[in-house]
Amino acid sequence: MTVGFTENSGSGIVTINNYLSLVQKYGIIVAFIVECVIFALWSEFFLTVPNIMNVLNQVVIYGIIAVGMTFVIITGGIDLSVGSSVALVGVLTASAMKIGFLPSWIVIPLGILIGLGIGSLTGMISGFSITFFNMAPFIITLAMMTICRGAAFLTSNGFAVGDLPEAFSFLGRGRVGIIPVPVIVMLLVFAFGHLLLAHTRFGRYVYSIGGNEEATRLSGVNTKRIKFLVYVLAGFLTSLSGVVLTSRLGAGVPNSGEMYELYVIAAVVVGGTSLSGGVGSIMGTFFGVLIIGVLYNGLNLVNVSSYWQMVILGIVIVGAVLLDQFLKKEK
Amino acid sequence: MRTLKSPAITIMLLLILLASFAMECSKTDNKLYKWTVGVSLLTREHPFYRDLEAGMLAAAEKDSIRLVIDAGEWDLEKHSKQVDNFIVKQVDAIILCPCDSKGIVPTIEKANQAGIAVFTSDIKAMGGKIVSHIASDNLLGGKLAAEYMLTLLKGKSKVAIINQPITETAMSRESGFKEVMAQHPDIEVVACLNGEGVRDKAMKVMEDILQSHQQLDGVFCINDESAMGALAAIEAAGRSDEIILIGFDAGEEALKAIKRGSSLKADVAQYPKEIARLTIETIVDYLKGNSVPPSVPVEVGIVDASVIENQKAAQN
Repeated sequence: MTVGFTENSGSGIVTINNYLSLVQKYGIIVAFIVECVIFALWSEFFLTVPNIMNVLNQVVIYGIIAVGMTFVIITGGIDLSVGSSVALVGVLTASAMKIGFLPSWIVIPLGILIGLGIGSLTGMISGFSITFFNMAPFIITLAMMTICRGAAFLTSNGFAVGDLPEAFSFLGRGRVGIIPVPVIVMLLVFAFGHLLLAHTRFGRYVYSIGGNEEATRLSGVNTKRIKFLVYVLAGFLTSLSGVVLTSRLGAGVPNSGEMYELYVIAAVVVGGTSLSGGVGSIMGTFFGVLIIGVLYNGLNLVNVSSYWQMVILGIVIVGAVLLDQFLKKEK
Repeated sequence: MRTLKSPAITIMLLLILLASFAMECSKTDNKLYKWTVGVSLLTREHPFYRDLEAGMLAAAEKDSIRLVIDAGEWDLEKHSKQVDNFIVKQVDAIILCPCDSKGIVPTIEKANQAGIAVFTSDIKAMGGKIVSHIASDNLLGGKLAAEYMLTLLKGKSKVAIINQPITETAMSRESGFKEVMAQHPDIEVVACLNGEGVRDKAMKVMEDILQSHQQLDGVFCINDESAMGALAAIEAAGRSDEIILIGFDAGEEALKAIKRGSSLKADVAQYPKEIARLTIETIVDYLKGNSVPPSVPVEVGIVDASVIENQKAAQN
């Protein structure tokens, strides 16, 4: 992951300049390194290869969603439906794989396709409502959040759908050498997200909409189409995350994914993306996700009580945002 | 003619149906009931609550109590309306299994004002005047889990707990477990982390515990969802043979995992029919004018592979 951190500011439409972008990105990396040093000193198990793989493996679920969320937040929007969507995708993917009379080489791809399809569909509904009915992203995705959660309970009667085909577990639990398969999936998603956001016209429009939507529209960009696609992308990536989680748990679980929206939004914001839109990067999100993932992992390794964990997570979020503000003022 | 005949027959059939229905109703009404008790269950869909309802009906039949049963289905508003109906019907007592321990308080106060005795079953309320609360003894459940684990552990052992320190039932399960383990100096509780009672979070926490403890011999989870999450993590790490996992609730999925010889060795089971029987018994006692304890803990038990075998044998 040695992709440069400055590419995304090469375009004229980007509202932050090269220097600031560098400082901000390095700020996040410095914070991440400090965090790792603290935990390495605190627990002898922290800086071991198995635990590094463990952390990477754990951040996969949030990480994949966070890539889509970064796009959404850069346009100035928000997606609150991701956690419930993960649950619904899980339940439907698992249910499709339980169609008894079909062989597993059919039901596994079928289940995955249904999962990915349903996530994309919720993204389409949100995107369509936002662009064509001018609904506030907060409201429509809040509605989708409760609809998806309800649907997940309805389609599963409230019980986990388990006993999935053995081969499906490769996606969530398999390893290539020492690297877990989900980690490879996540790294591919981050690479794809980075290229799309920083190196395509689509990506530049995303920044531009977040910076000034009206000006972007007047300059001849079909902003509705771009925004719609951003929500579909977010929905698709959320469902990919849901499919990976289902494979990992070996079951579609209707009460899974709770509060994921908050963790993911926190990771994206800690990664330097501004909630008011126009600013942010996939690399920043990558480190944001790692900072929060490492925080939980480290605190668990040293057995810090969950009450303290809640408090510490809050402090870290505030600290990250303050650091961000401070660096901006420095400039 | 044909068009005339078929509605006539339909109407006649309907009338017969109605008449037999009316007769059926009057039959039950004729039976002498000493008391009427209104029940507002949490839900009628969950198997646990189906058993609870069946148990209440069976016990009420024996004590010639008429039960009016309804369910809130996780909706506070429904609980409240059902209690309104009970007040109008002037029932002798109300049994509540509230979906929200705090939110139910105004509803309970309403019944208190109408002078109707309120009992809670399975789920506690955080206010109002409750005559008695009848529920599983979660503290005992935690103790039984610890005692069972002790029979399987050999020598100096390290155990972990996946808890949920914001719900009262989960916390008493945890303290029961810890209480017993504290009496055994050979056993060290090395980790106590929050799985939030859900599978995905519990799995994550278990993964971290496995990282920081190369030697781990036992894990106690405060419910089945946590246990299934922990099991997924243990199996993915290939450490099934070393770790004895014990869950709580004895749901179908957990029983399956116990049967297939996985790391999950046993579960603490609650007995909804027993809760139901004791609830009705307590109410009868109270209505007869006897004093009743403010809380009635109900026995729980351990289910392991041999218990499941025996149950199957008994059913055949």
